[in-house]
Amino acid sequence: MSSPRESRLRAFAAKLRGFLRGHQPDPELDDEIQEHLQQLADRFVAQGMPREDAAAAARRQFGNATLMQRDRRELQTLLSIEALWHDLRYALRTLWRSRGFAVVSIATLGLGIGAATAIFSVIDNVLLEAFPYQGAERLVVPRIHGGQQSGEEGRQGYTTAEFLEFAENNHVFDGITGTGEDLVRYKTGEGTEQLYGAHVTPGAFEFFGMPALRGRVLQSSDYDPGAPPVFVLRYKTWMQRFGGDPSVLNKTFVLNGIPRTLVGIMPPRFGWFDADVYIPERLTRDAKAASSGPAAYWFVLGRLKPGLTSEQAEADLTVIAQRLAKIYPQDYPAHFTVQIRKIGSTVIGRFEATLYTVLAAVALLLLIACSNVANLMLARATGREKEFALRAVLGAGRKRLVRLLMVESLVLAMAAATLGVLLAWGGLKALVAALPPDLIPAESVIGLNTRVLAVTLCVAALTALIFGLVPALQSSQRDLNDPLRDTGKGVSGGFRGRRLRDAVVVLEVALSLTLLIGAGLMMRSFVALREVHLGLRPDHVFQTLLSLPAERYKTAQQATGFFRPLLARLKASPGVEDTARSSALPPYNYAETNMEIAGETPDQDWRALFQNVSQEYFRVLRIEFKEGRAFTEADVSDARKVAVVNEAFVRRYLPTKDPIGRRVRLTSLETAADPVRDPWFEIVGIAADVTNQGLQVPIEPEVWIPCTVTNSGPQVLIVRTSQDPAMMMNVVRQAVWAADAGVALAYSSTLEDRVNEQLYAGPRLGFLLMTIFGCIGLILVTVGVYSVLAYSTTLKTHEIGIRMALGAERADVLGMVVRTGLRLVAVGMAIGIAMSLVLGRMIGAQLLGVTAYDPATLAATSLLLAVTAAVACWIPARRAARVDPMVALRYE
Amino acid sequence: MHTEKSELLQGTLDLMVLKTLNALGPLHGFGIARRIEQVSRDVLQLNEGTVYTSLLRLQQQGWIAAKWGTSENNRKAKFYCITKRGRKQLEVEMRNWERISDVIGRVLRLEAEE
Repeated sequence: MSSPRESRLRAFAAKLRGFLRGHQPDPELDDEIQEHLQQLADRFVAQGMPREDAAAAARRQFGNATLMQRDRRELQTLLSIEALWHDLRYALRTLWRSRGFAVVSIATLGLGIGAATAIFSVIDNVLLEAFPYQGAERLVVPRIHGGQQSGEEGRQGYTTAEFLEFAENNHVFDGITGTGEDLVRYKTGEGTEQLYGAHVTPGAFEFFGMPALRGRVLQSSDYDPGAPPVFVLRYKTWMQRFGGDPSVLNKTFVLNGIPRTLVGIMPPRFGWFDADVYIPERLTRDAKAASSGPAAYWFVLGRLKPGLTSEQAEADLTVIAQRLAKIYPQDYPAHFTVQIRKIGSTVIGRFEATLYTVLAAVALLLLIACSNVANLMLARATGREKEFALRAVLGAGRKRLVRLLMVESLVLAMAAATLGVLLAWGGLKALVAALPPDLIPAESVIGLNTRVLAVTLCVAALTALIFGLVPALQSSQRDLNDPLRDTGKGVSGGFRGRRLRDAVVVLEVALSLTLLIGAGLMMRSFVALREVHLGLRPDHVFQTLLSLPAERYKTAQQATGFFRPLLARLKASPGVEDTARSSALPPYNYAETNMEIAGETPDQDWRALFQNVSQEYFRVLRIEFKEGRAFTEADVSDARKVAVVNEAFVRRYLPTKDPIGRRVRLTSLETAADPVRDPWFEIVGIAADVTNQGLQVPIEPEVWIPCTVTNSGPQVLIVRTSQDPAMMMNVVRQAVWAADAGVALAYSSTLEDRVNEQLYAGPRLGFLLMTIFGCIGLILVTVGVYSVLAYSTTLKTHEIGIRMALGAERADVLGMVVRTGLRLVAVGMAIGIAMSLVLGRMIGAQLLGVTAYDPATLAATSLLLAVTAAVACWIPARRAARVDPMVALRYE
Repeated sequence: MHTEKSELLQGTLDLMVLKTLNALGPLHGFGIARRIEQVSRDVLQLNEGTVYTSLLRLQQQGWIAAKWGTSENNRKAKFYCITKRGRKQLEVEMRNWERISDVIGRVLRLEAEE
């Protein structure tokens, strides 16, 4: 026997089947109907009716076939279009009547969806799917890790012989490729530009498995000896240098003196090695037969065979490396192993922790937004109990009521989703603009992620549905007369839900305060960062890295022969105040040397940064002198072995002695490209400390020597201007190319831009994200406190009426409601402060000039939250105080 | 509301269709309509199309099954027959019906006596 429940279930299953199958016309049914009509007509004819009347009579007797088909269709569909349309219009009308509720719910959910989608999209694109290459999750970088080296250290560059050995004899990779870096000068019509080139080994593009966007990728014949020289261009470079002009394909470019044909342009996400151009490089063990490629060392990337563990791979590669170590003992430490590292972790490193922290924060934000909406909907449903009961009494089926509410919730969810998508889209644009370069892999293109979006939308829609339906189900199960009869006095029943709602508010307050404190700390840290004195004046400075053709500029004299007229000519140009040359692009210096000081015995390895500069350098960058003098013109023109050191140098190595006149030996210069014999330099001056390793790290000891002593190291041109330095690009380029059209310019920018990008962009991003989340949290918490209080006040209207009838003043009622709310807020704030004290240790490393327990920040953010929460309490409290006791008690 | 029909009415038709199939064995829609017409002796004005809605409803509950066959005048037609579960359901429904009609009949007589 079938119970009613069972048969309802079967009917629903049939509807679901119909829904899943989609709407299909039923030709069989049409046949059946036709047949039926035919037989009816035949029968009428047999009874003596004229044939032409019989068909009409048959149709009459059959009834309305369209109506019947609609009935049948409804048996097989979940929602009929007509009913849905009706419900939709009704839902819009209801929501319009409670605009405040609708706006707040939509804004809350929208904010949650938007923030979560934006951040999840960044995470997915940067951390999970950064590399679009074939089998990206199995791509590893092997390194020779010496027994005494710490965790991440180890050699990653391999000679051609080593690379071939690994490629031919390993048993663990199903693909391997080598990449060598090369600075490429290429001649344009008027001068020379510099590109970052990657030389790739045969099979590289088959390895990556990405087809070209235009033209073709490199193929095996391109590597043959005597094959016409070709290269492949990266999308970003194509856009920036050639404005995406498709006609550059198959044109010939002179790269480092060799005419090469551009055969392909890669799609946007191909950015291997962050290179601009990809050049085929033949590999041979015979050094003489090797092509003119500059790649002395290959960066090796291998794809592990599926199912292999890192340990198995490392064991196999170590065997090969040990064989190599016997042939080339000078290149290997005494004890070593080969270690492999996933390609993802080679790029992101420290940024990963920040991203995951932000991820956790934003996930919680989404949850809080959902619980907020849930609270709002529950609160609203209480006010509608009578409406539901009345509808049920008037004959609305339970199914119908539930459907009505479902449509209402869906309308809310859809509106919130639309808002969320817009916010996520805008947020992502802002985020990408704020994201510092070099922090994420070149390959990751950050865009709105549809998968992520789908998940967040589902969460939001589910929240709206569930919490929209719960009250409907509740009220339809209750005795219909109950809510109609009673005026609210008995309904203290919200009690079981109350704890949960209170807990949500406490959690919201705690989380929001944590976020606010984090944001406050980041803000103070960022302000402190901006106030750190760089040691130089970055305004009105333009700088560029010059790449001189090595064959014509071997010695320091040759370089000086190029620079001296150039500097003089530039200095005479309008808008230029002063010019200088250097071997490092401020505000960083990477050139390091071992060092000794005459008369001192080093207790360990003494090391210092060094820089070759012209006499104007200190003046151009406005670097102060503490003692002694800067270089004179004669120091530089005669290539005297004199040196200027910074204060950090003195503090570290000569703290108690007078450094002027002491002599230092810069050991690395003996083996530099342009070696200096007997590299002893006399200290003639002490300059103020200038940032040389970034702002969060202490300034390293540094030595400046005249640029005429050696031609080793990069050549940097620095110009101080009297007008906007951003306008100098053309003037400088024309002057450089007038001096020598074969010299290329790179990294041209104003010093201020570079400082902003390199020193401030990272901290700014952290500060920006935390501030945004803090603000969203604050908004959510306001909504949360408000909705819970509004709800409980509605429940208590009757009680308030009695109190007032018994003599309570408005102020008493006001106080009572505000106290209820503030008690929750206080508990939440206590938890929040405790939480941020614990978490403070985590962000401590990102802070500068402020501790994680900074009392001023704690006080200011707590106050902000308390004031906001108080406002949220005030509105429902004022409404409660306006309760007219007569109205509240009338139905007694 | 406007799309929902009285459950009593639907139920009566379903019961009649089920009973017809139980009594006469496999039938097509036309045959069912004729049988109901005949039995009700033209008292019940039936829109014959509704029979097909009823047939679908019964099929969905698994109380009847349908298959294609050839009609008496040699044309292709869909034949419906009652299933085992349908027979059980019919018994239950018939008992229910008798009880309800008994009750209603008594109530109506009571009113008439007053």
